[in-house]
Parts: sequence; C-alpha cells; structure tokens
Amino acid sequence: MKPETLALTIIAAVILGTIAFALLSVRRLKMDPHEFIVGSRSFGALLLWILLAGEIYTSFTFLGAAGWAYGKGAATFYILAYGTVAYCIGFFLLPPIWRLGKDHGLLTLPDLFIHRYGSKPLGIAVAVLQFLLVVPYVTLQLTGLQILLTIAGYGQYNATAAVSVAFTLMALFVFTAGLRGTAWASVVKDALVLGAILFAGIAIPIRFFGSPLGMIDHVLKLHPHWLTLPPPGATNAAYTVPWFVTTILLSGVGFFMGPANAPAIYSAKNAETLRRNMVYMPLYQLVLVFAFFAGLTALAVTPGLKGPAADQSFMLVMQHYYSPAALGIVASAGCLAALLPASTLLLGAASVFSKNVLGDWLNAATGDRQRTMATRILVLIVAFLALTLWIFFKTSLVDLLLFYYVGITQLAPGVIFAIAWPRVGAAAVAAGLVAGECLGYFSVHFAIAPGGINGGFYALLINAAICILIALAFPEKKKPAGVPAG
Amino acid sequence: MTPAARFTRAALAAIPPIMLTLAIPFANREEPRILGFPFLLAWMVFWVAVTPVFLLTANRLRRTP
Repeated sequence: MKPETLALTIIAAVILGTIAFALLSVRRLKMDPHEFIVGSRSFGALLLWILLAGEIYTSFTFLGAAGWAYGKGAATFYILAYGTVAYCIGFFLLPPIWRLGKDHGLLTLPDLFIHRYGSKPLGIAVAVLQFLLVVPYVTLQLTGLQILLTIAGYGQYNATAAVSVAFTLMALFVFTAGLRGTAWASVVKDALVLGAILFAGIAIPIRFFGSPLGMIDHVLKLHPHWLTLPPPGATNAAYTVPWFVTTILLSGVGFFMGPANAPAIYSAKNAETLRRNMVYMPLYQLVLVFAFFAGLTALAVTPGLKGPAADQSFMLVMQHYYSPAALGIVASAGCLAALLPASTLLLGAASVFSKNVLGDWLNAATGDRQRTMATRILVLIVAFLALTLWIFFKTSLVDLLLFYYVGITQLAPGVIFAIAWPRVGAAAVAAGLVAGECLGYFSVHFAIAPGGINGGFYALLINAAICILIALAFPEKKKPAGVPAG
Repeated sequence: MTPAARFTRAALAAIPPIMLTLAIPFANREEPRILGFPFLLAWMVFWVAVTPVFLLTANRLRRTP
C-alpha cells in the first residue's frame, strides 16, 4: 500500500469508528430541545469533564501550542495558564449559572441575559454576536484539519475536498446525535489526543535527544533565551511580560463565554459536578507541556518554518521520520481534535439562533418539535456557511479570528454581574458591551497595544468600568428575577 | 457560610491565578533550572499542578459550616 493511502485510510477509519460509537450510545433517545441542546441536564462527572475539556484539546492546542513553541518560544506558555485562571473563576461562576438554568429552563447564554436583565433586545444582541463570532472560529478548525490531511497525504492530494467531506460528515452526525452524541464521541477523541500528545512530547524528543530535558538543553543552545519572555525591544518583542499577563487574564475571563459553553454548563447533573470538574480540570491542562515539547523538538529537528507554517511543526517530523501507520494514528487524533470542537460550536451556534433569534425575536419555531427541527437544520446551515467562508476567504480570516477572543470576552461583565451584583441592569450591560466591542474591534484591526498590553484587555476594562459606573449612577430598582442565594 | 469563610474561599481560589499572572514578571527567568525545566516553565507547571489543592480546600470550606 502506498504510504499516503495507508495514513489516510487510518484517519477515515478512526473518524467513522468514532461516529459509529457515538451513534450507538444515543440510539434510543427521543430528541426534544432539552435533550438535543443540553443533554436533558443529566451529565455526570465523566461526560461533563469531556465536554468542558473540549476547549483544551482543539486543533488550536494540538497544532497551535506546538506551533507557538516552535515559532514564538515562551509566549506559548500562556496556553497553559489561561485555562487554570478560568477554572478558578468558574469554580464560583458556573454553579449559580447552572442553578439559574435549571430553575428557569434556560438553554443558551442569551437566555441567561434575557432572564436576568429582563431585556429581550439585549439577549438577541448577545445571540447575534455569538453567532457571528463563532463562524470564523469554526473555520480555524477547518484550517487545522487541512494541515493534518495534507501532511498525512504526503502532499499527494488537494486536501480541500477531504476537509469538505469530513466536515459535512460531522455536521450530519451532529444533526442526528445532538449534544450527548458529541460528548460520547469526545470520549474517543480525548483518549486518542492524550495518547498522541504524550507520544509526540515524549517519544519524539527521546528519539532525537535522549530525553525531553536533553531536548530543552539543545534548544536553549541553538536559541538562547527561547524559553523566557523577551525584554522590550528584542525580536519577538510583541510577546513581552505585559502582553503575556493580560492575554492570560483576557482569555481566562472569556473562557466560558462562547456559544458552546453555556449548554455544556447546563448539561451538568448538579452544581457539585461542576465544582468538582473545576477542581481537577487544571491537571488535564498539564498535558499541554508535552505539546510544547513536541513543537520544541521540531524546532531543533526541522528548523526553518516561517509564520503560519510553524503549525505543521511536529507533524512534519512525524511525516519524515516515522512510519505511515504512526503518522496516520497521530493525524487522526488531530483530525478529531479539529472536528469535535467544531461540532459543539456548530450545535451551540445553531441553538442560539433557533432559540433566541428565531424564537425570541421572530416568534417562529417555538414548539418543541419545531425547535428541535430548526436547530438541526441550522446545524447544517452553519456548517455550510463556515465551509464556504473557509474555501473562499481562507487567508483574510485572521483578523476575525483574533477578534473572536476579544469579542466573546466582552460578554463576561454581563455574565459575572448577572450573578454577582443585582444593581446592574440591562442598560449598563448594553452600554459596556457596545463600548467593549467597538474598542476591541479597533484594537485588533489596527493592532493597537499600548504599553505592550493586549488591546482587548483595555476594551474589557473599559466595558466593565462603564457597566459599574452606570450601575452606581442608575441602580436597578426592582429586585431582579431569580438571582440565587449563596 | 460566615463572611470569614467566604473571604477565605475567595482568597484561596485567587492565589493560583495571581501566581500565574501578576507574579510572572518575577518568575520570567531561565535560572535556576528546576529538574531541568527553565524556571519560568517550572513555575507555571507548579502553580497549575497545585491549583486543585487550593480549589479542593475552598470546596471543603463551603460544606463545613
């Protein structure tokens, strides 16, 4: 068998096998919106763990964490820290969000805004924002998929067609299986990705340098100071300490604000399940250290990749020095790491659109059966939209991708005050949000970062400040509905 | 839960994020190497690894009156 055929066959078998496993696990379920979108709020520790960890093992971490270690050095360590910051916040934030969802039948994050602030327009604006921001984020996963399939095909194929087929398959899978199916498929994904990252971060350095620590010594000899943040004025000067600290804070605060996160939180069986997940989740993040190792090894073994090409780092080492079977297995883990987060994003975006835009705004599809059907069809529409955007505008999406993190994080003050401070009303949140989004967009678009600080961080501070000032000047008079005690 | 317990919980959960953000300017160095890791990476791995201890303690405080 030709090497590219073997590697690609393994990938196809793994993807199909994962889908089949997940479909078997949901085959007896009746689908209504509560099952389809939030898994009937019944997930125990394991499924919830896997769903919440989805954010950690995406293709951005699989390829990006290694790629940043390869291309930017110590800056990549921010990926290790922001999740931990997020879990420490989530430990306090998620249980009350879950309680509100449970008591009032909420399905999405915009539902929370509508319920707590009593303003449909605010909720609809949040829904539209989440929906628009998520499409470029899905396309990022498609680019990851393309890199993996190109390398696994030894450059013999045009990967665009393969990416389209794999992604369409995944969209049909989400259409059928909903959140629970995606969670079960993620069990397979996480096991495979864990194995692949450990292999790439331990076995590859051992092969070339005797041990991961020998590899670190070698990299530091070739590139002095590569694993510390640069002083102002050095090459890589964009990634100094102020950037590092503010990016960790920004990403940590925004961690749970995407359209896929609220359904995952609501899917928990109880609040204690969420708390326990927050307690232990940081341990899972430690695996990222091995992704750094994989990227650093590639820097020593196959130097010379520039810019976005750095994302191919350790996969190219796999391609050059390992058998097609090994390449196929590692690449298939990476493909799942791109496809499954993309599917929860599809589902999240479709749920937000069917519930908050069609339902709350246009008063359409409000019955259970119509809403499930609308959500399903929207999964396919969002998938089609993302795929089209990706095929035609691949290169011009970078701006939007950077904006995703900055933009989605601006929702955080509204969510945090919803739980923590009854004086804040809809107008305060809306004013802060508008200011945050505008500032955030300009800071990303014109790459403004005064003092080396992440521009989105200024936007978040001003957003929160406006929110607080308006709340102090015009406090919410009536007691807001259903803020839980304790 | 008493205000003191509330404060202790918040303080416990705040320590790891502070060590991973505000303390970084002091941890941004290569030496001393810890078990072969450059100091910055060792520092970050350590604080991520001990975060569960802090959160677990905070969770205990919630349940004992």
